[in-house]
Amino acid sequence: MSTTTKQRAGIVGVPPLAVMELLATPEFEIFDLDEPQGKIDIESESPFLPRVYCGVLRTVIANSIALQPDIIYIDTGPGKCDCAVHTAIVLEDILPNCAIVRTKNTDAVDFATPLCRTRMNLFEKMSAITASIQHPYSYKALPSCLPTAGFWGVPPRDFTILNLFPDTTHIYGWARCMENKTPDNIELEMHYNPDIPTVFFAQSFCAKTALARHLAAKHPYGLYLDCDVTAGNSAKAKIQAFLELSAT
Amino acid sequence: MLLADFGTSYCKLLDTDLTEKPTLIATTAIDRTNMHVDIATGHNGKRYAKQYVNELTALARGGLSLIKERTFTLLDCGSRDIKYVRYDNGKIKDMGWNAECGASMGFTIELLEKYYELNFSDMPIPKSSFSITCGVLGMSHIFDAVVSGQSEAEAVAKFVKGIALNAYDFAKRPEKIYLSGGLCDNPLFVGSFPCSVVTLGRYVLLEGLRDSMRCNSA
Repeated sequence: MSTTTKQRAGIVGVPPLAVMELLATPEFEIFDLDEPQGKIDIESESPFLPRVYCGVLRTVIANSIALQPDIIYIDTGPGKCDCAVHTAIVLEDILPNCAIVRTKNTDAVDFATPLCRTRMNLFEKMSAITASIQHPYSYKALPSCLPTAGFWGVPPRDFTILNLFPDTTHIYGWARCMENKTPDNIELEMHYNPDIPTVFFAQSFCAKTALARHLAAKHPYGLYLDCDVTAGNSAKAKIQAFLELSAT
Repeated sequence: MLLADFGTSYCKLLDTDLTEKPTLIATTAIDRTNMHVDIATGHNGKRYAKQYVNELTALARGGLSLIKERTFTLLDCGSRDIKYVRYDNGKIKDMGWNAECGASMGFTIELLEKYYELNFSDMPIPKSSFSITCGVLGMSHIFDAVVSGQSEAEAVAKFVKGIALNAYDFAKRPEKIYLSGGLCDNPLFVGSFPCSVVTLGRYVLLEGLRDSMRCNSA
């Protein structure tokens, strides 16, 4: 009887479909390094990145140090950000036993976005979207709901802000590009529904703050919001008040 | 029905069955054990109330009740934070709440007036200001200015103007500001804004709670 040890593969951003097809085999155990993994202290990355830096990429470094993957696929293409380019260099230096593979995901085949438009608790919906990138298969059809609110942006570092939205919230922005498996689709990323109150979210210190702010100003009922590692009471109060006051 | 805005320095109470006029008491004088109200806002409000309304919602509703225009910016400068709401043609358009960089603005201004024994109502508005990021960090400018020969009153006035300009920037530099909070009673602060200012006093959030009460009974 032979035993096989799975390779521990970390992913950052949305690697191309060809990579995810490779990782979806039994030889690999996948870790989404963008997301908090258990109780890993984000401050463990502090010797390697400035504190005033994207909370998601700080999480990537903290996860990588704690989990010590065998290989990391980090998307450094136009579907991610410049910060990922620099984070890849840091990872290479601090994890000499880990293979750092840079990808440039320019996939253009639309996988559809059923989760973004279905009725579901927003926390669970966003979790399902981030989990979906690990599965290179077609999606099950889901019924669309009539939207009463919108969340535009990337999956936040702190998912608890999502609990403040109604189940009938549609997801837009880069999170929608994630589900569609086309992270470099700027047209899809910029799409929003002007008829529903929409929170335009970006991580503090992320380049997408400019786009979030710009689109919020254009949207008739848009609110710009940025949060760092965890959302404070004032950020949560802004969301709560905005949704409540937009409904009246 | 008892409504309350539990601020950092002052608590505003209104018993809608007894009087139209609210009561102002120092937060340190609250009976923390026996205080119970029906609807509350403010950062200590959840502790004492059956129903809690968040401060931005209370501010916005208070503004809608008190301001005739359909397009306006309402800025609340409290002891420990600043917040604003902007309405555009009757619809909420923007809002902000700064409890970090806006920290301790009102608290620091009150403290300085007492410490230097100043009277803000008879102090001229200075032509220039200090570049202030928050009440706490701005204090060093006062000490430096006094050491370099400026009068204490002049230095504090520049500090207060810096705080007003910071609040103005935070509210996205509107042409006209409706101002709420205890600093409405500070003519040096109000006069330091580079735009038209309409003061609404410190009971705007209570007015918002009154609106919530009406919503409950509707």
